[in-house]
Amino acid sequence: MSDRPPRDPDALRRYIAELLAAGLETETEPIPRTEREFAEILDQLRALDPDDVRGRLVIAGFLDHPYGPEQQRCQECIYYLVHRRWCDIPEISLPCEPDWWCRLWRI
Amino acid sequence: MANLLWLQGGACSGNTMSFLNAEEPSACDLVTDFGINILWHPSLGMELGDNLQRLLRGCVSGEIPLDIFVFEGTVVRGPDGTGAWNRFAGRPMKDWVAELARAARYVVAIGDCATWGGIPATDPNPTDSTGLQFLKRQRGGFLGADFRSKAGLPVINIPGCPAHPDWVTQILVAVATGRGADIALDDLQRPKTFFTSFTQTGCTRNMHFAYKVSATEFGQRKGCLFYDLGCRGPMTHSPCNRILWNRQSSKTRAGMPCLGCTEPEFPFFDLAPGTVFKTQTVMGVPKDLPEGVDKTGYIKLTVAAKAAAPKWAEEDIFVV
Repeated sequence: MSDRPPRDPDALRRYIAELLAAGLETETEPIPRTEREFAEILDQLRALDPDDVRGRLVIAGFLDHPYGPEQQRCQECIYYLVHRRWCDIPEISLPCEPDWWCRLWRI
Repeated sequence: MANLLWLQGGACSGNTMSFLNAEEPSACDLVTDFGINILWHPSLGMELGDNLQRLLRGCVSGEIPLDIFVFEGTVVRGPDGTGAWNRFAGRPMKDWVAELARAARYVVAIGDCATWGGIPATDPNPTDSTGLQFLKRQRGGFLGADFRSKAGLPVINIPGCPAHPDWVTQILVAVATGRGADIALDDLQRPKTFFTSFTQTGCTRNMHFAYKVSATEFGQRKGCLFYDLGCRGPMTHSPCNRILWNRQSSKTRAGMPCLGCTEPEFPFFDLAPGTVFKTQTVMGVPKDLPEGVDKTGYIKLTVAAKAAAPKWAEEDIFVV
């Protein structure tokens, strides 16, 4: 797998799926409990190189399956665009799948 | 002819600026078409010094009939209850307010500061500011919970930061033309005609609210501002999307969240860092849900709405 992520959204989605399936360790915890903690994660994301997809996945705590006792997933997250299959948080702005999750999830 | 006197306490003049931009009716219409005689106003009054004091004393004594007393800004009681931090026409403003309110047929509080204390009364409230008949949501304020003007009404509260100019002039016309008794007030003494519906009522982003598509940046041409950017439109009583600002637009239409400025709690969360323009959540669920909606219902609605969302809801639909 190349280190340079593809530009095409579908190819990028496959690239991310492969990274997660291969066991990429991401920071699922701590889940932000306050808006300040949430903003700190966004600050970390903003500091990344725009091409650093892997870094975004790690800091946001991406998983390729639902998470937590309530089985939270992208499909119900307000940042998820269901038709584009896209995370619309400006600091993430990546394709994703409805059954994925990250620690910036909110409903 | 109805005599109107307008004074400012702990204020930024924002409501005066708003009032002077009124259109339906305009400030000039009040004088030319509706028989309102503006005795004095901070930006319009001609009298100064001794002449102003004479006018104010005349209103207090009844020599000059005072039909409508409008107050903008907080009543400043500090330091130590003296009111000396806001002196006007030779004495603490709070003393004028107490006497003029007793003399007036109607008392109208304009803007958040005069109604509930607004930003100046936010903790730690260094000037010991209060609204005329409320301090935040607590009834009482400066004049006391039992205060009634000579017409038998409590203070008519027209909140907002600032209040929309037409809310102000339309209420003044109602009072000046003898329809004061027809003004129905809600529990917070706001005219029901303006403050029964929500800011969200008439918002052009309601389709995005319905399909749970979020705006994630100011000014975006799609998305609801409630989910991420702290919009308080679904829990704030105001007609901001029914009676448009400058007859053109509103905050939410322009892509800015409603700040909830017509509610007594404004500014919310005592302006703690991270609380302005950010929806407060607990485990990803908004702390403040649309009025009348519980958490379980909200989650169920979100699941259904996301599943049903049409493709166009995700696209920029507002064009310049």
